[in-house]
Amino acid sequence: MANVDRREFLRLVGAGGVGAGAGFMLAESIKHPVEYLIPYPVPPEEFSPGIATWYNSVCGMCPAGCGISVRTREGRAKKIEGNPLHPVNQGKLCALGHAGLQVLYNPDRLTGPMIQNGERGADEFVKTTWEDGLSRTADRLAAARQDGIYFLTQGVRGHLANLFELFMGELSSDRLLHYDFAHPHALYAANKRLFGEHQLPYYDIRNTRYLLSFGADYLTNWLSPVHHSLGFGHSRHGNDGVRGRFVQIEPRMSISGAAADEWIPARPGTEGFLALSVAHRIVADGHYEGDDAGEWRKALSAWSPGRAASLTGVSEATISRLAREFARADPALAIGGGAAANHTNGVDNLVAVSALNYLVGNIGKPGGVVFNPEPVTGASAIDRQANYRTMQKLVEDARDGKIDVLIVNNTNPAFSLPLASGFREAMAAIPTIVSLSSFIDETTLMADVLLPSHTYLEGWADDMPEPGVGFPVGAISQPVVAPLYNSRSTGDIVLDLSGKLGFNEAIPWTSMEDVLKDGWRRIYERGAPEPGDFDSFWRDVLVSGVWGENVRRGDSVTIAPGAIEGMAVSEPRLAGESGDYPFILHPYLSSSMYDGRGANLPWMQELPDPMTSIVYGTWVEMNPVTAKEMGLTDGDLVTVTSGTGSIEAPVVVFPAIMPDVVAMPIGQGHDALGRYARNRGANPIEILAPETDSASGNLATSATRVALAPTGRRATLVKTGGESRQLGRGIVQSTGSRSSRGHSAKLNSIPIVVEVAESAVVESA
Amino acid sequence: MNIWDRFVSSWREFRKDGYYDEFDYAWTMTIDLDRCTGCGACVTACQAENNIPIVGEEQLGRGREMQWIRIERYWEGEYPNARLKFIPMLCQQCDAAPCETVCPVTATYHNQDGLNAQVYNRCIGTRSCAVYCPYTVRYFNYNDHRWDAPLEQQLNPDVTVREKGVMEKCTFCVQRIRQAKDQAKDDGRRRVRDGEVQPACVQTCPSEALVFGDRKDASNRVSKSMNDARAYRVLGELNTQPSVIYLKKVDADAD
Repeated sequence: MANVDRREFLRLVGAGGVGAGAGFMLAESIKHPVEYLIPYPVPPEEFSPGIATWYNSVCGMCPAGCGISVRTREGRAKKIEGNPLHPVNQGKLCALGHAGLQVLYNPDRLTGPMIQNGERGADEFVKTTWEDGLSRTADRLAAARQDGIYFLTQGVRGHLANLFELFMGELSSDRLLHYDFAHPHALYAANKRLFGEHQLPYYDIRNTRYLLSFGADYLTNWLSPVHHSLGFGHSRHGNDGVRGRFVQIEPRMSISGAAADEWIPARPGTEGFLALSVAHRIVADGHYEGDDAGEWRKALSAWSPGRAASLTGVSEATISRLAREFARADPALAIGGGAAANHTNGVDNLVAVSALNYLVGNIGKPGGVVFNPEPVTGASAIDRQANYRTMQKLVEDARDGKIDVLIVNNTNPAFSLPLASGFREAMAAIPTIVSLSSFIDETTLMADVLLPSHTYLEGWADDMPEPGVGFPVGAISQPVVAPLYNSRSTGDIVLDLSGKLGFNEAIPWTSMEDVLKDGWRRIYERGAPEPGDFDSFWRDVLVSGVWGENVRRGDSVTIAPGAIEGMAVSEPRLAGESGDYPFILHPYLSSSMYDGRGANLPWMQELPDPMTSIVYGTWVEMNPVTAKEMGLTDGDLVTVTSGTGSIEAPVVVFPAIMPDVVAMPIGQGHDALGRYARNRGANPIEILAPETDSASGNLATSATRVALAPTGRRATLVKTGGESRQLGRGIVQSTGSRSSRGHSAKLNSIPIVVEVAESAVVESA
Repeated sequence: MNIWDRFVSSWREFRKDGYYDEFDYAWTMTIDLDRCTGCGACVTACQAENNIPIVGEEQLGRGREMQWIRIERYWEGEYPNARLKFIPMLCQQCDAAPCETVCPVTATYHNQDGLNAQVYNRCIGTRSCAVYCPYTVRYFNYNDHRWDAPLEQQLNPDVTVREKGVMEKCTFCVQRIRQAKDQAKDDGRRRVRDGEVQPACVQTCPSEALVFGDRKDASNRVSKSMNDARAYRVLGELNTQPSVIYLKKVDADAD
């Protein structure tokens, strides 16, 4: 190198760079001779080192279906941002969405097909080929009895859902189950009962002036949190000086409760009584003038605020005030979720909450409840959602030896079902379990054959958000990087199996991309297009990352017959006697780990819980007075015992929780799922009693009573936050609503807005 | 010139009135606490953009977290009237920054855009700046951090990876600012357009609580936002003149 000067050196480095790029291109073309990734905003003519290329796709971290733009450099994904054109998230993204990169680049990902080589659960998998893995699976599927095959997938939509339907149809099995722990079963059932609607409506938080939320943590995990956050922000200061009012009713303050103007604790499961008495006041005070006002008055006559006050713990005066405010605000909106939905009377509660929307006449109006048109495709997936009752059927069938093959796709019931469900033991009775998951989670650990799927950033799929945003929206999930490992797209694995089983007639495609193109051709034809122009349509959808139609439903939705007379809320049922188990357990979805799927992402482990600033762990939140009575303080390790099990976790004194309620975040407590998740914290789902809501079959996750016993030991709570009170420092300042208006040009008497000299702002045209 | 004279002369130069008005830009962020929901999207967006390491449970337990932006939370009142208030806290990019005057090697200084910049390869790790910072937003690399392969493939090539013994902090995503300025230059423009550059936290904020821009142009969104009657600076009495302006949370039930 002695004679190489700087210029020469740079030239050599430059040549090396081109070489590396060309080598990369070559490798790409070998792996994917026919696939073209269409980037945003301009397709690269050639590979340009140092220039970022953006691809639009769909986020796969939760069921909200946000559009994403992924920044790639030199063929690697560097950052995920929201797609500004997608109506769901409009360029924004939550923390979990960002952490999708750590799903892609997770060190514990499965790198290729494997087979179990030891005892189930021993984690002794050995590598195999796709040919071998697929043949083994296909042989077992071919040999299975009628209805002896269960396909258990995470909630999927669009054409992948259709493909699963076709595949299971060919296998002559009706056991296709979409299983998500947090699926809003009660909300679907409530909308069906009250409005006769099959789908969820769009709740227009953006344009509402008054939001009454019964337990729905709409800013963190309820339906579409990023979309709701956008709406929340807009409603705060976007509506021409009118600031929306948000009221949150729940036993333990959630993030939405902290953001609300008013937080009202109510006994878990009694939210429906509260809603009925608010409705009672609205009708009794003459705020409702519909033709069926008499019917409503009769149905609600028993629900005076006085009666509800004794049941819910919310004062009569508060209930009357809520009714007054709700009826007068125009528009006002009521939503329900959380403990209200996940109780033994969840559907009743949500029907009562939805009735409020009807009574103030916000159905089909901006700022109210807007019913969605039928999804463009994949509507069958809604009926395939497996509730707890369905999963129990699976467990029974497994025990009775009726299941020959179980296919699991990226869903983890071994973690997200209570121990009392018997799911783990039932798996042992299933002769063959095939997993299409990308990670060895608790369920996949029990599998015999692992056929790992691509992550959502590597494979093809599409998505029609449900609930939609009032009009049809769809987006294609395209690969943004070349696959890292020897995995395959979920759709492709199913197609490969179909090929092996000879289903070519019903399932003629050879790749998921073809499935999508075929399906999107039909979507394209809806719009009466120019003939032969599908290719540019396809390209446009990929480039913009979203497709939509300007079709809205009229406000023709009415109350289902008999719904008004049948308006009643049954008593919530709690598992366990209050003498033995003095506390009601309130498990909630962690804001960073959702239902536990984020636990293997180090960013999510290190993202402090917003309410407590705790990282890396599980804790039990207690009311300060109760904690003091029991002599407990932050960090005291307690045993939380229900009728069906017990777990250990440290106490956190939490100022905004009812005295007889203890809350625990869901997400930790894995015994598989890789190095970041394993052996950390505890899983409160484990000890939940198998109580269900008979109206929806939903697991009543808020209906378990527990006892707390100090262990005498202490645990280190790893927290990032310091002092939890301001101590007069005035760090977070607030102001009254009146004095918040107007303008001030000076801070600290120092003018900080400086006029720019004219010459500086002249732009060359 | 001996070290004292040099100190005095630079003090005079940098503390004279109007010094900061002479710069090209005055990057400013406003944070509307009435919109902030405390969700933490900004925290993770920042980690992804700026190659912030994963420090692990043990190190976090010793208070060695690395998060250039964090959500602080403060409880007020007692049950059932307890309230929780969030505030995103990041480097305030003070115009009169206490951290700058104490660095023995001038590793932290004020740049042409009024940003409080940190020169990593000049830093010798005395941690004086962190001690002087009233907002405790400077983070020290107590260790060489590693990314378990292949997590390192995510690292942003536009941002360096810091090593043990170096202080680091929020840069207002200076790499994005540089890129926007280069783009403006390539397009033959004199200045970066409003909204052309957004730090990762501002870009992602789901409730649009954060606004970023150049306050030198009064027509920019951030200039309008900071003129809101609710605007205040955290620990304003210290007169550090932060470039991060907060808008007070509104208490709907107070006057």
